[in-house]
Amino acid sequence: MSDTTAERRRRWEAEGYVAIEGAVGAAQLARLRAAFDRWSVDGRPQWLERVARGEASPTWFDIPEPHEKDEVFLELADHPSWFGLVCELAGDVTIAPMQARTVPCWPVSYTAWHPDRGDGGPRQVKVQVYVDDVPPGGGEFAYVPGSHRRHPETHYRPGRNEGTPGHLRLPGPAGTAILFDNRGLHTAMDNATDVPRRSVIFSYAERPPGGGDSDRFAAIADRLTTPARRRLFGLR
Amino acid sequence: MSAAPRIDAHLHVFARASERYPREVTGVCPAEREETVESLLEEMEANGVDRAVLTQMGGAEVAHHAYVRDCLAAHPDRFQGIGLIPADCADPEAHMDRLAGAGGFIGFRLGRLGGPADPLAPMDLRDYGTYRIWAHAARCDYVLWLYLRHADIYAAGHLVHAFPQVRVVFNHLGVCPGEGQFSWDEHGRPHVGAPNLYLLWHSIYRLSRYDNVSMMWSGHYAFSKNPYPYPDFADNARWLMRAFPGRLMWASDFPWIRRVPGYGRIVELLRAMVPEVGEADHASIMGGAAKRILRFPDRRG
Repeated sequence: MSDTTAERRRRWEAEGYVAIEGAVGAAQLARLRAAFDRWSVDGRPQWLERVARGEASPTWFDIPEPHEKDEVFLELADHPSWFGLVCELAGDVTIAPMQARTVPCWPVSYTAWHPDRGDGGPRQVKVQVYVDDVPPGGGEFAYVPGSHRRHPETHYRPGRNEGTPGHLRLPGPAGTAILFDNRGLHTAMDNATDVPRRSVIFSYAERPPGGGDSDRFAAIADRLTTPARRRLFGLR
Repeated sequence: MSAAPRIDAHLHVFARASERYPREVTGVCPAEREETVESLLEEMEANGVDRAVLTQMGGAEVAHHAYVRDCLAAHPDRFQGIGLIPADCADPEAHMDRLAGAGGFIGFRLGRLGGPADPLAPMDLRDYGTYRIWAHAARCDYVLWLYLRHADIYAAGHLVHAFPQVRVVFNHLGVCPGEGQFSWDEHGRPHVGAPNLYLLWHSIYRLSRYDNVSMMWSGHYAFSKNPYPYPDFADNARWLMRAFPGRLMWASDFPWIRRVPGYGRIVELLRAMVPEVGEADHASIMGGAAKRILRFPDRRG
């Protein structure tokens, strides 16, 4: 994609999303897939136990604490392909715990149309990065352009995902990054393939005045070696 | 007075354990305990409930069904039955046909589906432990009544999708208790600690897109953190009405609610919890949906 920054900003303001193909290069993608492969196997028994106890859903699996597992997740957190735009859109941001998510093949999408939040509060940007190619009908991210300006109610919409008027599906090759305003309606579409959909989801929020620091990422303090990265992760 | 039928879509009756009516004996249901159909009919008539679904408990062998079978035979225009299938049944098709052939049993309740333990592992639907049951239900038009373990949610999605002709009723708001979540409370009622509605939105409730899937509106007493009328489930009720229009069925779960909060209060629960519920929705949930989906015949006279 060759959108200029101005075009991306315009799309963000008007439509609530920006898709950047090729945001993650081949070498980094290979490392990302290797990290997924390794830590998905490692974290699965614990997930299955939580599913059996009713504490986790069998319809998605998140690698526990991915930021502690592999450097590639930290590299993506402030990736130059999108982090500059994130800061333009939301200002001085902190990051929430990332989700390194695998969605097993299930006949219906694991989630319904929903916004994450209503209006108000700090500016936020979410970024979803495809680990593998996500074809149409492969569990791709979808968004209702402009819905971020209408502040819809925050409940999950019943009904078929494909029935929502005006929605836009965003399939894409591995390495695609989709930035979206999480006040807008978004979802994952059904996955009719036999390949689980893998992605990493980053949530950035504007730093509250005089705050935003916490010990949430203290476990990786020694690996956050630049002041900018320490600030992003809320460490002084 | 509305002519809409009022149908209690899920409850249990059982006799004292005897040679005529053998059943499993537990701490909650000792041999001398009985919850008879006569006592149920008293409650139903006092509260304007016309008909009901008698769901077998106390054992899955054919002999264990004797009391419910006799109740169905004695009141064919009032009751339909849901049977059980032994977990180790070598010939589930014959078991299902035998019970259905005795009259009144329209379907079977499953607590496990025998799907893969790991949703990310390769799977073949035909390897599922209950595949033959689903296939036979599809052939014979039996209803499947699901009160599943949480670990079975993944399998449920694939089976519902594979058998669109099977009428499926998720019991008790679709809650699937996890290991260690089920217990009995101080009133002798089932209790499920902290069911996670967020997880239901991302699993069982997603199956509302299938027209053959219905939801039983019941069990609040076992799930709620609040006393009657369980206001912490009001938003859930409103959401389910939108997600399962015409496919939401009220049930009492008698006898567990008989003393607390009482059968009559459970009959009134929908209006107490969701005062704005419309007449059409109320009529559907309180019996219209069950009559249509479970094909209750019109009553004589």
